[in-house]
Amino acid sequence: MSDRAGSVSLNGEPETPTLGEVPDIPARTGENTVAGAGPRPDGDPAFQRLRELLFLREMELLRALEKRLDDPVQHARETSEVIAEAVLLRAQKDNMLYTALEPMAEKLFKEALRRSPMDFVNALFPIMGPAIRRSIAETFRSMLEGFHKTVELVFSWKGLRWRWEALRTGMSFSELVLLHTLLYRVEQIFFIHAETGLVLNHVFDEGVATQDADMVSAMLTAIQDFARDCFASEQGGSLDSLQLGEFGILVERGTTAYLACVVRGTVPLEFKQKLRDTMIAMQIKYADDLNAFTGDSGKFAASRWELEDLLDTRLADTGAPLPLWVKLMPMAVGLLLAAGAGYWWYEARQRDIERRYMEESLVQVGKEPGILLVEARRDDVNHWEVIYQKDPLAKDPKTLLDARGIDPGTYTMLLIPFVSYETDMVTRRVKERIDPPENVSMEFDGDGTLRLRGKASMGWILQARQEALALPGVEKVDMSGLTDPRIDELKRMIALVEGTVVEFPLGKDVPVPEDAGKLARAMDTLSAIEKLAGGMNVSVNLTVYGHADATGNDKRNYEISQARARTIAAMLYARGSSMPIAMYGLGADYANREGAENGGKNHPRGETSEYTGDRASRKVELKVHLAQLPSDAGVLNLLR
Amino acid sequence: MINKKVCMIGAFSVGKSALVERFVRSVFSDRYLSTVGVKISKKTVNVDDTDLTVVLWDMEGKDDFADVNMSYLRGAMGFFVVVDGTRKETLDMALHLRKLALDKAGDIPHAMLINKADLKWEVTDDQLASLEATGIPIIRTSAKTGHAVEEAFVSLARAMMKD
Ligand SMILES: Nc1nc2c(ncn2[C@@H]2O[C@H](COP(=O)(O)OP(=O)(O)OP(=O)(O)O)[C@@H](O)[C@H]2O)c(=O)[nH]1
Ligand SMILES: [Mg+2]
Repeated sequence: MSDRAGSVSLNGEPETPTLGEVPDIPARTGENTVAGAGPRPDGDPAFQRLRELLFLREMELLRALEKRLDDPVQHARETSEVIAEAVLLRAQKDNMLYTALEPMAEKLFKEALRRSPMDFVNALFPIMGPAIRRSIAETFRSMLEGFHKTVELVFSWKGLRWRWEALRTGMSFSELVLLHTLLYRVEQIFFIHAETGLVLNHVFDEGVATQDADMVSAMLTAIQDFARDCFASEQGGSLDSLQLGEFGILVERGTTAYLACVVRGTVPLEFKQKLRDTMIAMQIKYADDLNAFTGDSGKFAASRWELEDLLDTRLADTGAPLPLWVKLMPMAVGLLLAAGAGYWWYEARQRDIERRYMEESLVQVGKEPGILLVEARRDDVNHWEVIYQKDPLAKDPKTLLDARGIDPGTYTMLLIPFVSYETDMVTRRVKERIDPPENVSMEFDGDGTLRLRGKASMGWILQARQEALALPGVEKVDMSGLTDPRIDELKRMIALVEGTVVEFPLGKDVPVPEDAGKLARAMDTLSAIEKLAGGMNVSVNLTVYGHADATGNDKRNYEISQARARTIAAMLYARGSSMPIAMYGLGADYANREGAENGGKNHPRGETSEYTGDRASRKVELKVHLAQLPSDAGVLNLLR
Repeated sequence: MINKKVCMIGAFSVGKSALVERFVRSVFSDRYLSTVGVKISKKTVNVDDTDLTVVLWDMEGKDDFADVNMSYLRGAMGFFVVVDGTRKETLDMALHLRKLALDKAGDIPHAMLINKADLKWEVTDDQLASLEATGIPIIRTSAKTGHAVEEAFVSLARAMMKD
């Protein structure tokens, strides 16, 4: 390391760092020039003169040379001519130059980085982003492959069954598949300016319940600020994914903006990559607009194309629709046979008892709900050809004829499917389709109104209404008699959370250990509330109120009550919640009573009260607020 | 679509939240809930035929000079620093916070609101006049009666529009 020590002097004199190297060249010239004159004695004036005469030119040269060496400006100018070559030469020779410059370069770099880190991040982001993405992708690929295969297998079997179901129920196949196979859905994308937390653009999928984009955007940003304050790690501890009930929020950060996606289900890695790519592209595309952003989101309007491209609903197996001719087949066959049957009917008519009983039976069966007799004829050898129209949900005519003692060997039957509007059949169809839970009763009156009563889940209620209305014969659905037990469940859980009082030791903002269990239960319940409410398109907000007892002065009491609220909120966020939490400190409660009387004036700051606090007032209380997301008015009615 | 981030800063209990409530929802409550962290609200105002959405960051009040965390002010485009006219010490805090805010967010539009105008003040007119002379915009408000609240927000919005 002596090399390095030798370089210290170079660092010590920054204005001449290169002189140590460069003088080699002129110095050598100097030595050569002086070499001839050097050894002579200087004492004798005659000799001196002689020397002047002889060497006048040389001495002037020498002086000029000396001057050149002594004048720093001149010297610098000359050195600049050769410095690059000199550095090159030395660099070829050995590592000394690197060793000498390294600590300086490092210091310079660090200093520059410290002064304007964003410049570096901005410069590196386009290069590092894709590289990081690629390496993460590599790691997960093998894992994912296995997973996807399983999913595909499972869903392909189901796919077959659903196709059959679609055919049977007349429901559009894609509708059915959507119901059954939603793997994930990217419902909303927020493009957010990182510094201000203002929304730059917001896109959402059709029919998605959305909240106020400005508020969500600011709140997400504030939550992250809060989390950063609370869990301040060296890295700045960023929250990249949050859970909000059955919704997840994915956050993809650029340098001056970020994307937040509200997703349902589990998005695959490909989506995350796409998200990352989009963020990188937007960061580059809008770099200048983002830096100059003063609140006008108009400049970012065009980002909607990129953002909308991220909205994505992924189903496990969408399958191809059935070809038209397959669907038309039964009708074609039916028409053909009906025409032929008319002819046969004429041809083979004969009157006998057996025949009349057969006729009577065929007609009676044709009066059963959902069954219509189209044609029946008997051929020469007393064999019957019968054609019925049959609703898929009607009883089987063969079984009915069996019950009347008719030998199945005496007839051939053709069934043509049709949809019957008879009340019985409509009822049965509704029942089959909406599959009411046990404690829901169903009533269908002649004018096409379906009445439902009892307890059922919100999801079922909403879906049932939609589906029932889509069924032939149903004009109106009256669901006023239905309630969702989940609402009771929600109410119960909210009561549990709001009934939880967490106590604190005197002067402390960490709950008493005895209440840890209670607190954990309340937090679990909150998660359950979020989840349940999320499924009903209801958003959950929480307010945390901190209290203090009245010992000590009011200033301290407000502070400690605030700190207590903050602790509890931080604990919730630490569990991954992204619920908007409003936090308040209420100080000592008596202060609020006084405050109320004089308009909040002069909360006795700094005064010590005579009231001695009790443990029960050192607490935190929770309040849950539910808000209906705007889209589902139906749920709103039921929630009331 | 123009959105502006506006912060409410000031000492403890001066009426920041009350002013926001008055402005956003036109209500007032005597009950004092001291804010922890930040509370977000928003309101759209129409200034000279342009709609402008103000996203309000209502900050937790501070009494301790050393304890002030200005990180929420990042990216603010305007702010109000609120003083409780009945407590003159909140004016010192306001001046301190104003300086920190200008350091943090740059030279952005702002005003000092001297609140609780419906009560008897400790802060004197002379004091305010000399502050105004130094170029600090001062507005006397009452969240309780609503006096000058709307005007304060609209004039800040107008100033931010020009930015
Ligand atoms: N009489 C009167 N009381 C007010 C006025 N503004 C606020 N108050 C009262 O002053 C108290 C404090 O008001 P807040 O708005 O909560 O104060 P804050 O500045 O938000 O307080 P922190 O959030 O703790 O910083 C409350 O009791 C209010 O009712 C006002 O204009 N007149
Ligand atoms: Mg407040």
